[in-house]
Amino acid sequence: MESQSPKDITDYYKHLSLFWTDIIHLMASKPQALTSIGPMRAFASNSKKISTELIQINENLMEFNKFVTEYYKQLSETWSEAQKKVNMKAPDVPHDTEQMESFKRIWIDIFDNDYTELFDSEKFGENYGKLVSKELELTKHWNNISNVILQSANLPSKEEIDEVYKEIHALKKRVTKLEIELKKKRDAKSEGNIKNEK
Amino acid sequence: MKNESKFDPKLIEEMIKFGKNIIDAPKLVSAPDEISLEVTPHDVVQEIDKTRLLHYRSLTEKQYKTPLLISYALINRYHILDIQPEKSWVRNLLLQGFDIYMLDWGSPTSMDKYLDFDDYVNGYLDSSVEFIKDEASTEKISLQGYCTGATIATAYITLHPESVKNYIATAPVIDGWRDTTVISNLAKHMDVDKMVEIIGNMPPEFMYYCFSVLKPFEQGIEKYVNFFKNIENKKFVDNFLRVEKWLGDTPPIPGALFRQWIKDIYQDNLLIQNKMYVGGSHIDLKKIDMPLFTQIAVGDHLVSPECSMPLHYAVGSEDKTLKMYPTGHVGMIASSLSQNKVLPELGKWLAERS
Repeated sequence: MESQSPKDITDYYKHLSLFWTDIIHLMASKPQALTSIGPMRAFASNSKKISTELIQINENLMEFNKFVTEYYKQLSETWSEAQKKVNMKAPDVPHDTEQMESFKRIWIDIFDNDYTELFDSEKFGENYGKLVSKELELTKHWNNISNVILQSANLPSKEEIDEVYKEIHALKKRVTKLEIELKKKRDAKSEGNIKNEK
Repeated sequence: MKNESKFDPKLIEEMIKFGKNIIDAPKLVSAPDEISLEVTPHDVVQEIDKTRLLHYRSLTEKQYKTPLLISYALINRYHILDIQPEKSWVRNLLLQGFDIYMLDWGSPTSMDKYLDFDDYVNGYLDSSVEFIKDEASTEKISLQGYCTGATIATAYITLHPESVKNYIATAPVIDGWRDTTVISNLAKHMDVDKMVEIIGNMPPEFMYYCFSVLKPFEQGIEKYVNFFKNIENKKFVDNFLRVEKWLGDTPPIPGALFRQWIKDIYQDNLLIQNKMYVGGSHIDLKKIDMPLFTQIAVGDHLVSPECSMPLHYAVGSEDKTLKMYPTGHVGMIASSLSQNKVLPELGKWLAERS
């Protein structure tokens, strides 16, 4: 018997979950429609969307964990390397204020240099970019769930509000252009009046 | 048996004093929220959306004829240019006899996510320049851009060169590919389309993260150790809290503007290659033909000198000066070096052309 990969298992549970939410939704929607009278009707019909988002969040979380593990691995490896350098450069425990000051200087300089080198590296930039990207995808799923809940309560979704913002922005631009044209015409008219008076 | 300690008693004494300073700190100093960052008196002469045009009140009997408008950066607020009387960029220029205006970009909200380069360059900055020209009855003004504010000012001047008499570029963000800072490394790997699509505006929290990767141990540990060590030094503490408050006040950056800034400057580097477009108009750096004064900080870890310097060589100006200072990004505008060297040199250059 062939062994199943983690993806196959995830796909199986995704299918299983969608199958039952679909079936339950279909079986329940008709009698439910007879009894539901308020916004919860919309919420019930949208429950499938929420469960789909939750399954996808789970998938994204696995990817996110991969990059976040690499992120902390890079930080901790750099810490170990920097601490080794400090130990080599200042092996003795400081006993007076002067020694303490120079130990602090060495520690900070080495740690800052090593971490700056890490943050400046291709491997850090690439992993951090992917980590943020996965974090954004998780946020997107959360936004989608929020939208379903908002719609079920007859409130505008984020996309609908964005459309309004976009429209306001475009209108403002048009008004500004019109105001500039109007000002130019007024200026030209007043210049003409001055010339006529002369 | 003799109870001997290996440690110098002075060291123990210092540690006890340090602990005492931490306990006493709240009794000795104000909370950052109680500090006002408004220093030099000014009037708000124009407000458009969330932006404000500030006009500083004159501190001299006579002023040079050409007013100077400062286009501050998009990161943090304009207060650093007027952080306290002894280190105020604005106050120093006022005392040298210049008529100073400042453009405060304000704090954009979700509603402003569609504001783009065009709105900032041909909208807010252009409206401010036109207002000043009307108020001062002059055909041209001097323009100073700081950091990302200089990127906006540079784009503006190429499109409206007839309105600008002198251009001062202070640590301008120009050549993203040459930038050697960790900020540019993060910017180059960022999926900015996804960020803008999902979040809208660039959130301040992301900027705080970017600050935290800049010299994390000096800025994150030593700075605060020094603060508590010097808790009884009123002047030091006052300056520290003002700068800290300024650092902690980063407004979001409108999504569309942030997207174009990251793509055109850091990822595709279009500005220095004369391939950038703003509101459909071509940005050609050769069109900057007025006197140019470029100020660069050698120790700048936010905008590296290699990122700023190319402006000096790319413009069409014949009268141009490049000055390098042994300081950092903030040190160039708010330090004793800026008061004693950077500003006198700028004032002399500007006075000859105002």
